[in-house]
Amino acid sequence: MAISHETLKAMIRDYQGFALSDDELELIWPELDIYLQAIEKLQELDLSAVFSSRLLRVQEGGQA
Amino acid sequence: MAATELLTLTIAELAPQIRARQISPVELTEAALAQAERLQPRLGSFITILHDAARQQAREQEAALMRGEYHGPLHGIPIGIKDNIATAGIRTTVGSKVLAQHVPAEDAEVVRRCKAAGAIIVGKENLEEFAAGPTSNNPHYGAVHNPWQLDCVPGGSSGGSGANVAACVTCASLGTDLGGSVRLPGTFCGVVGLKQTFGRVSQRGLLVTSFNGDHIGPLTRSVRDSALMLQVIAGYDPLEPSTVPVPVDDYMARLGQAVRGLKMGMPTDHYFELLDPEVETAVRQAIAALEALGVELREVSLPMMQYVGALRITGMADSVITHEPYLAEHRQDYGPDVLYRTLAGQFVLARDYSKAMKVQRLIKEEHARVLQEVDVLVTPTAPVPAPPIAAKTVTLGGTAYPVRGPGSGIISKNTSPSNATGLPAITVPCGFTVAGLPIGLQLIGRPFEEALLFQVAHAYETVSPARGRRPEVVQG
Repeated sequence: MAISHETLKAMIRDYQGFALSDDELELIWPELDIYLQAIEKLQELDLSAVFSSRLLRVQEGGQA
Repeated sequence: MAATELLTLTIAELAPQIRARQISPVELTEAALAQAERLQPRLGSFITILHDAARQQAREQEAALMRGEYHGPLHGIPIGIKDNIATAGIRTTVGSKVLAQHVPAEDAEVVRRCKAAGAIIVGKENLEEFAAGPTSNNPHYGAVHNPWQLDCVPGGSSGGSGANVAACVTCASLGTDLGGSVRLPGTFCGVVGLKQTFGRVSQRGLLVTSFNGDHIGPLTRSVRDSALMLQVIAGYDPLEPSTVPVPVDDYMARLGQAVRGLKMGMPTDHYFELLDPEVETAVRQAIAALEALGVELREVSLPMMQYVGALRITGMADSVITHEPYLAEHRQDYGPDVLYRTLAGQFVLARDYSKAMKVQRLIKEEHARVLQEVDVLVTPTAPVPAPPIAAKTVTLGGTAYPVRGPGSGIISKNTSPSNATGLPAITVPCGFTVAGLPIGLQLIGRPFEEALLFQVAHAYETVSPARGRRPEVVQG
């Protein structure tokens, strides 16, 4: 997965982020790449049934 | 007894002699300060050495002994404190230029507890900038050097703490662990490093980078000393909501008890993948040694660990939020490794953060299930021995992985999961490479069962091929 510099710069601009030049975006890329790979990997995992422990207790018959 | 000989003793060996007034806290502190001064040019392990304050504390503790007061096993013991843990009136830089002049008004809770127990604080220890990396090659305060091989890293981020304990400068040090930052210096420096259960020790006074996995933990030269240190720092802190009001066990109670019949789990997923061959051999030999002591070995499966990469996402976002006020005003004062690793976190989407929390939940549940079948998990602490300070990458399985900065993380692959699960984990020296670098065995236990973890670690320590070895810099 890849995200263009233009998209990243638009995110920074629209969400009041920390400005990064093209060279700096290259420097952060290895970190961003790991993030994107992890998210891509999660596409194969069904997370819809994962709840917090509080919800699990409710399902088990505890007080809501 | 010669000064350096004194310093090689463990806390458990020193304490009864201090109590019996055979060893003076003043004499011991002077020896520690002399060792610190002698080795600082070679190790770079301190940011601040506290000559005057340590001498004053030592005199006070000696006077207390003379009055018949004894505050416990840490009475008169020289320790070090990582420089991201607050010390009242003493600058606490967090290894950064940004906070170079930061002087806290109050001690961190762990520092207060150690002082109340009679410990002498000899210095604030060097670390990775903002405790964010595994090398302790600090761009502002210099690289920390590994006492076993000075051109190698000591691990990080608590590198100064690991180096000081290994080089017998301090008898123990308090480090902090967000992804392995106590256990990695433990394994690279050949000492014992503990990250206890999340919530067992107060983090009040620590510059917390993530609300989800920071811990303060001890580095020591023996498992018994680790138990002694935890006994002092563990406990509920009503002013620190992450601590849990669970009674504190007697951590010495199970030391020396037989381990026959206990069960250890060797994960078939993640932890034994991508290992340096010498590390794998030493750890498998350690597991065989535990079997010889009567611990039953079972293979255990943790398939959710294939998604462990997602755990990093929460840390990325937490980090940029922690640094937000500093980045706004002092961006130019950051070193590039931490700066660009941190700034990547601003692109993490909230939906992905939430997914990562769900993955964390799954991994926690899976570890909890497995730890109903076995008493401890056994893994290598780090996949590699200490890399050279100059190394930018380590190669495993034919792939070069960055050691520090953006995209790094291979060194902490086996330690960081326990920060997400909150489970207690300890590293114990289990051997050396042919080149003479230490290797560590990691034991992971059930929540709040540190006493059991100490029991197994202590039993292994008595048969470890690493026992009794010290780096040459201790004497030379």
